[in-house]
Amino acid sequence: MAAAALCVFLFVLPVVVVALSSVAQHWSGTVLPTGLSLRWFERLGGDDWDALTTSLEVGFAVALGGTALGLWLALSLEGRDRRGLGAAIDTLAMMPNGLPSVVLGLAVLIAYHKKPLDLSGSAAIVMMVQLALVLPFCYRCCAAALRPELQILREAAASLGASPARVLLRVVLPQLVPALRASVALGFALSLGELGATLTVYPPGFATVPIVVVGEVERGYYLPASALSLLLLGLSLLALCLIAARVPRRAKP
Amino acid sequence: MSCSPVPERAAALRGSNPGNAGAVPRSTIAQTARPRNWAVAANLSVLLMVLVPLILYPLIRLLMLSCSGPNGFSLHAYQAFFANPETRGVIGTTLAILGASAGIASVLGVAIAALLFFKPFPGAPLLTRFLELFVAFPSFLVAFTLIFLYGSQGSFSIILQRLFHLEQPPLDFLFGTGGVILAEVIFYTPFVVRPTLASFATLDLRLLEAARSLGAGWMMVARRVVLPIAWPGIAAGTLLCFLLTLNEFGILLVLGNAHLVTLPVAIYASATVDLDLPTAAAGAVVMLVMSLSLYALYRRVSRQGTRHGR
Repeated sequence: MAAAALCVFLFVLPVVVVALSSVAQHWSGTVLPTGLSLRWFERLGGDDWDALTTSLEVGFAVALGGTALGLWLALSLEGRDRRGLGAAIDTLAMMPNGLPSVVLGLAVLIAYHKKPLDLSGSAAIVMMVQLALVLPFCYRCCAAALRPELQILREAAASLGASPARVLLRVVLPQLVPALRASVALGFALSLGELGATLTVYPPGFATVPIVVVGEVERGYYLPASALSLLLLGLSLLALCLIAARVPRRAKP
Repeated sequence: MSCSPVPERAAALRGSNPGNAGAVPRSTIAQTARPRNWAVAANLSVLLMVLVPLILYPLIRLLMLSCSGPNGFSLHAYQAFFANPETRGVIGTTLAILGASAGIASVLGVAIAALLFFKPFPGAPLLTRFLELFVAFPSFLVAFTLIFLYGSQGSFSIILQRLFHLEQPPLDFLFGTGGVILAEVIFYTPFVVRPTLASFATLDLRLLEAARSLGAGWMMVARRVVLPIAWPGIAAGTLLCFLLTLNEFGILLVLGNAHLVTLPVAIYASATVDLDLPTAAAGAVVMLVMSLSLYALYRRVSRQGTRHGR
């Protein structure tokens, strides 16, 4: 029981704190917040809402793009050999997983901030670097769903005369829908929370919510930062529930 | 959503023994079913053309910038990066924090996983689900919430002040090494718990019962029965934890200070504050080598775990 308490203490508490602090009137020098108030939400300014819309736009683009690319990768690299072009592509796609986000952000900034390939003035550069970071997760999600049982269904369909395109559309994709939903949800949540690379590449005017929150924390505005963070978390959770709900509970390996 | 690595099915199946009489290896079926023609090669080439500008080209440009000087190839940027008095010892700081945070998180993670698996308490499944969601949290947010709890004006500080009737709230460690280590331990322990739990799930519990019935104490069971089987999962989880802690940036941004500079922070500061891209690139390349080596090791260990019958 002591161990259970320790777990709750360490892990659940931070989440509770975000929720609690965002509705606190004042929380400094006391154990619990003094008074409840929604004023921090009321005080969210134009910059905050802009950041929220930017985060949402980038999040959706990255989640959908990452899932599409991840699906393409998973289907193309299915029966790949240990060495060869397929393995090389697999390594390349998974590489951002092992890199710090700041390094990848810096690399993208260096590559794309001068003519002729100048993306540094728009949100495109943010979407690009987040796509690279999110891709390994989406790819792994889709690849894990291409189970051997699926192969049997595909062969059955092919043996009954279906063309490869038809097999793909009518047999494979419907089976992959839960994994695709999970991939979109995961990509969205990861994109919303991404800080390191985004902070390195973002052009002025395209700040995302994490950037604004960290800026406020650095200046000491803790409670407004909480309000914004709660909105961010709420959106992530909403997306996770909506998109990934009813994922069938298979026995996990 | 499991975080397990892509199963190397073809490789694993090729190793299947001929004792499976009559069972045709699935890889053969797959190969005869797939048309081995230029369409596959063309598809892979198009994929490559998407991935290269996304990932490889920027990294190559990074490498090139770090080695370029006014007169062509030069390692000046590397010297500049490590000679800067503010970043001197930055690697030492990085490794020290890494060792402390990831070490504690790994031990704690394995302990918690063992607890959740072998001695479940009511609510354990709920906690496990929660830990899975926890990893989608941004890391800087966890650090931020700790300010309300462990900061100098935070809840626990005030509790201690009242409990011991002190003049000032006692806790003042958060915006420094201690705080960073605490935040990293809290955030990264779940990353160790999940793969460890997964590898415990592959245990045949009858082995444990057999060992117990033959008189082995819990320590002996843990050492001689559980660890050898669960080791790949534990190793993978631990390596992942070390890798992620090495690359951690958000927590350091929120809780770090001028004396607490790790490599990602140094690279970021060099690029955006000093606006010195070549020096930042040099640091980034060093970081790249460190991270990718650790990542390659992690991939190798996870693949071994997959091969040994998960």
